[in-house]
Parts: sequence; structure tokens; C-alpha cells
Amino acid sequence: MPSAKAPARRVSTYKIVQTVLGILFAGYLLWRLYVVFIGNPAYGSDTWARFIISGVILGSVYALIAIGYTLVYGILRMINFAHGDIMMIGAFGGYFVFEALKAIPAPTLTDPKFTFSDAHPIIAVLLAFIVGSSIAALSGFFLEKIAYRPLRGAPRLVPLISAIGASIFLENAGQLLFGTQRRDYANPLILTRGDGWNLPIGGATVILPYTGVLTLVVSILLMVGLYLLVMRTRLGRSMRAVAENKQVAALMGIDVDGIISRTFIISGALAGAAGVMWGIHLGLVYYYVGFLPGIKAFTAAVLGGIGSVPGAMLGGLFLGLVESLGPAILGISFQLKDVIAFAILVLVLIFRPTGIVGEVLTEEKV
Amino acid sequence: MKRLYFVFAAFLVASMVLAACGTAATPTASAPATQAPATQAPATQAPATQAPAAAVPAVCSTDAGGCAVFKPDQTIKIGMGAPMTGDNAAFGTDISQAGKLAVSDAGKFQGFSFELDAQDDGGTGEGGAAVANKFVADPQVVAIEGHIFSGATAAAIPIYEPKNIPMMSPSATNPTLTTTGSKVFNRNVFTDGKQGKFDAEYLYNTLKITDLAVMHDGSAYGQGIAQVVNDSFKALGGNVVAFQAITPGESDYSAVLADVASKKPGAIYYGGYTAEAVILVNEMKAAGLGSAIFFSDDGIYGQDFLDRTKANGEGVYATSAPLPPESPAKTTFDAAYLAAYGTAAGKLSTYTWNAYDAAAVLIKDIESVAVLGGDGNLYIPRAALVAAVRATKDYQGISGVITCDPTGECSASNPILNEVKNGGWIVVP
Repeated sequence: MPSAKAPARRVSTYKIVQTVLGILFAGYLLWRLYVVFIGNPAYGSDTWARFIISGVILGSVYALIAIGYTLVYGILRMINFAHGDIMMIGAFGGYFVFEALKAIPAPTLTDPKFTFSDAHPIIAVLLAFIVGSSIAALSGFFLEKIAYRPLRGAPRLVPLISAIGASIFLENAGQLLFGTQRRDYANPLILTRGDGWNLPIGGATVILPYTGVLTLVVSILLMVGLYLLVMRTRLGRSMRAVAENKQVAALMGIDVDGIISRTFIISGALAGAAGVMWGIHLGLVYYYVGFLPGIKAFTAAVLGGIGSVPGAMLGGLFLGLVESLGPAILGISFQLKDVIAFAILVLVLIFRPTGIVGEVLTEEKV
Repeated sequence: MKRLYFVFAAFLVASMVLAACGTAATPTASAPATQAPATQAPATQAPATQAPAAAVPAVCSTDAGGCAVFKPDQTIKIGMGAPMTGDNAAFGTDISQAGKLAVSDAGKFQGFSFELDAQDDGGTGEGGAAVANKFVADPQVVAIEGHIFSGATAAAIPIYEPKNIPMMSPSATNPTLTTTGSKVFNRNVFTDGKQGKFDAEYLYNTLKITDLAVMHDGSAYGQGIAQVVNDSFKALGGNVVAFQAITPGESDYSAVLADVASKKPGAIYYGGYTAEAVILVNEMKAAGLGSAIFFSDDGIYGQDFLDRTKANGEGVYATSAPLPPESPAKTTFDAAYLAAYGTAAGKLSTYTWNAYDAAAVLIKDIESVAVLGGDGNLYIPRAALVAAVRATKDYQGISGVITCDPTGECSASNPILNEVKNGGWIVVP
């Protein structure tokens, strides 16, 4: 057949382009690294530390959101574009918890303006995470029930469009419910944004913000918890079985619809937690707050290899670091950081179409 | 089979995109063509058919823009494009409220009443063009107060220009707006050329800053003023150590601030609006810029900035439109504003008085050219109105005397400087 020959030739030219691009890019990167670190050092070690802190913290939030994309993709082979808006709902859940706790006075002798959340920051933060995650998990559950379940078995583009519709619906619902103004998260006093440990690095003090450390610790805990859940529990085993093959899993007595529901609850809860962190660390929530992180986390999920949980974690951290370090290393304007992030996505997809740790999909799964 | 299916799907998507482009392009291309006759029809054809009845004033047949015709039950509309929702809604709310007071103070003219139609343009270029297209399609709109933001204004001017709809903006300060030779655009506010130079001189001469970092949000307004500050500061002998743009709408600018911090500037000048300035100010300390001064423009001045930066905002400088001199007219207006809206005039933005004056000037000019026809309709010759607004001279407004020069600059006022002290904006003498 003539068609058998054509792909073979295409692959070889593709390979050549791939190699040339790879050499060019690697050479450019090495040259830039040489210039930035040895040739003409633009930054002191304190600045690098700041870039890394900023990147790791943002990356850990991306990672948490990316896990939601990857879990749903692994099981349903669809992109849940409303995921970022689930994060927005979680962020608002946490916001109202802090607002409520702020209204409870708990005056002490030294400070009459002390509130409940200042006096018991651990309870307040815990409560915010629980409420934010629960509301987001509930939204995830109903999102699946309303927007995706009726379309089970439809062609793959159909739930995708439904997802975009759900995303627009949630954004507009948020706009109607909460207004368009950005709102400030009322953190407990000890978590005041901008405060942190002073680290002496390179002759300057680098502030490691408390809120950032909280974000990082919570997201690592949640990721470890999720990993254990997926790998060690009965539910996790069922999820992996459904991801592998729905029909066979059903034959083995697994309630496929129930597992899908639970997957949406888990990914919603993670997005909700990410939303609360976003609020605590960055401070501003409004109806559109989930859009950009959602897109970035989706990128991170693809970068790491969509369908793979460790891939999403790695992809998130990688994207966060690229956004903060990329412009500095390449020596271009920070306005172009998204360009760098997406250029790297394109490069990764050229060299490893399955992402950094992506699985090689069988023909049937594709 | 599956592959075929995907190829088909790709074709479908591609054809849908093409179709969407096609249908989107056709109305925009044909809209002006179909609308132009529709709006001008009463003006250009009316004299021909109704002239024998002598009902239509003669000026309508000679006016280059034709006449806007108002039946006895119709109101004369003044349009306004302003950010009414979103982060910068405070500007739009304040300016439209002040404009509405001017409209109600004007009362009735020959039995016809005025109306201020404030539409949300979000402060963006796309929004400004959309609102402008809406207004030119409405034959009752004869003049525009605004637009409010420079980016939206720049997009709107070419749409009003061929329709002879005069504009008077109380707040669009980008210097290039009046240099394009537009005959419809006027403003009763200082320009960023003046503001940026003023800011650079204060930074260099009074605050003794030698190393300045300049940042902006890439908007017509923010980038424009940042460029002026950059140039003036260098001309004074100062050193601009960083010139960085940020992407508006994000929640975290710590990486770009770390980059700026590594250049060790004594102060940061930011050209842009409140939403991003708040994030920058809140993150400055953590980025290692705790000792640098944050200096910005009239786009961040207002209560909103204070509410959202709290202690971090202390020591921030921002320029603003000057407070008008005390006068009986100002006292009356301030009391009326407080009574009508529950907030003090000048608290949401400093353009309150400019906004009142801009609307009042437009109303006065409309009254000066409008002619009552023999048929009881009111006729407003459009081109004559454009000329009348540009010819405004020695109008005593609340904010000062308004006299337009041939390019459309109608304000002689200078910006003033404010500093945040103890949670409030204090005027720096």
C-alpha cells in the first residue's frame, strides 16, 4: 500500500527536525546559563533564592490543581475545563469562613482588636480548608452529575463543549453571587501576607513567607495523601481499574459510575484546597480567579504527562519554576513569562509527546 | 476508521472557524454602511421633503453632519463609556454619578430634558469600541462625556469622528490622544506628559532618588506615563535601572519584583491602575524592596487602594487631579453629591468635579447650537456642536476655568501629589 510508505518518510524528516531543534535549543540554553551565571552574572544569590521561593510556591498550587485535571482525564479521557472554576468556589468558601471568624471578637489584654481567627489561627485555617474543600468537592460532584453524566458514551468532543459551558456558567454564577470586586482574604494575624522568616542569603535578607510555607506544606501533604489513596486503598485500586478499562472493571464488580463520582469529589476537594491556599497566600479572590491558574494547571498536567499523578505534581512545580526563572535565565521581559512557559510546553511535546513522565497509551485508550 | 473520523472532525472544526470568521466579518464590514444612511437619513433627507413647510431650521441643510432631531417626548442623550464593573469600577461609578448631577442641574431646555447614558466599557480598547459603536447607532446621542480610560478613549475617537459626535473626557490623560488631529476629542484634565514630568521631577529633586525602577501594565495609559517618567527622569540626570512591564490581571508579581529588587532601586514608579498596584505594594516587602518608595499615578489614587493595602500602603505616593478651589458652587455640589449617593465627592476618585464640569460644558454647548423647529421638534446640528465644544472659552466650572485650545486641551490645571499617611491620602504641599 502506498500509504504505508508515506508515514515512514514523514517520521524520518520529523526526526531530523526534532534533532536540529533539540541541538539548537540546548545550545542556546547552555549559552544563556553561561552568560547568566558565569559570563555576566545579572543576579546575586539572594535574587535567585527569591525566584525559586516564588516559583516553588506557585508551582505547588499549580500541581494541586493539575492533579484534578489528570485524575479526571485518567478515568474519563476528557478535559474538565470547569476545574479552575471549582477552585474559585473553594477560594470563596475559605473567604467566607475567615470573614465569619473575623466577626467573632476574642479580645486579649494586649490587643482589644483580636478576633477569633487571630487567637486560634490553626482552627481558623483548618476550618477554612475543610469548608473550602467540601464546597468545592460538592460542586465537583454535582458538576459531574449535571454536565458530564448525561453525556457518557457521547463522542469525545461533546463533554468537552459541555465542560467549557459549565466553566462559563460557574464564572457567571460567581459574578452574580459575589459581585465583580476583588475581595481580600482576612488572614489570621500570624499569617499576615508578606511576613516570614528572614533568611540571610548572599549578604541580603530573603523573606520566606509564612503563607508560602503553609501552601507548600499543605500541598505536599495532600499530594502524599492522594498518592497513598490511589496506590494503597481499595478506592484507589478501583479508580486505577476504571482508568485501565471501564468494561472490564464493571465485569469485576466495580461500580464505575460511583468511582467516577468519587474521582470528581476528590479532584474538587483538591481544587478547593488549592483555592484556599491561593487566597491565603496571594490574598485576592474574585469570580475569575480560577481561570488563569486553571489554564496554567492544565498546561502543567500536559507537561507532566496527562493521566499521570506524579506527572501532574512534577509538571506543576516545573511550570512554577519556569515562570519565575525562565525570564531571568533567558534575559527577557517578565511580561513574556507565559510565552516561555508555553514554548517549553511545545518543546516538551515535540520531544516527548506523552509529557515528562507520561504513560505510553495503548491504541484502545487513545 | 478512527483516524478518518478525526480528520473529518478536524475539517469540521476548521470549517466552523472559517464560517465563524466569515459571518463575524460581514456584519462589521457592512454595519457602518447600512447604519450610516439610517442615522443620516432623517438629517439629510428631511430638509428636502419638509423644507416647504419651513419646519426644519435652515442650519440643518448647511451643517456638514446634519441635524439630530428630537420629537417632543424624546430626551437629548449624552453618552458615557466608563468602567462600571470590575476592578476599576470606582472611576466609572464616581464620574457617571457626577455627570448625572450635572444633567439634573441643567433642568429642561425648551421643554426637552437631558439624559446621561453611562455604558460599561470595562476601561479596555475593545469595550470602548463596542460602546462607541452602540452610541453612533443611537440617533439620540449627540455628545459623549468620556471615555474615562485612555485605552478605551483611543479606540472610541475614530468611531465618533466621522459621525460628528463631540467628546469631553474628564479623565483620559494619555498625551497622544490630542495629537492625532481629532476634531471631536476634548478633555478637561491635565495630560500624562505634564503628570509624568511632574512625577519625575519630584522623585529626582525632592525625594533625591538617583536609581529608579519604572514598571507599567502595558495599557495605553500606564505605558504612556511610564515612558514619560522614564524619559524625564533620564533627562534630569537620574538613572533608570529597570523598565519592566507586567501582565495585568494576575495575582502574583513576586518574580518580576525580585528581578527589580536585584537592581537595587531607591524607588519604583508604576504606571497603571489600582488592581495591579495593590498586589505590587503588598508583595514589595517580601521581594526585598522594603525600603524602596512606591510612586504611582492618578490611576491608583482613591479609597480602594487604601482598603486593600492597609499597612503596606503607608508611604506610597500618587498624583491626582487637583482639588478644586473652595467656592459656593463646589459647596452646593458637594452637598448634593453626598445627599444623592451617600459618599463624599472626591472619595471614589478625584475626577468628580471634572466630571460635573465636562457634562455641564457639553450641555451648555448643546443649548447654544440647538434650534427649535417650526414643527415643535428640536434640531441639533452635529458639526456645529463639534465646533462649539472645541470653541468653549472662559467657562467657569467647579474645577476652574475651562478654555479649549485648538487641539482640544481644555484644562490649565496641574496634578497634585498625595502620600499615604496613617491610612489616608494626605496632600503633599
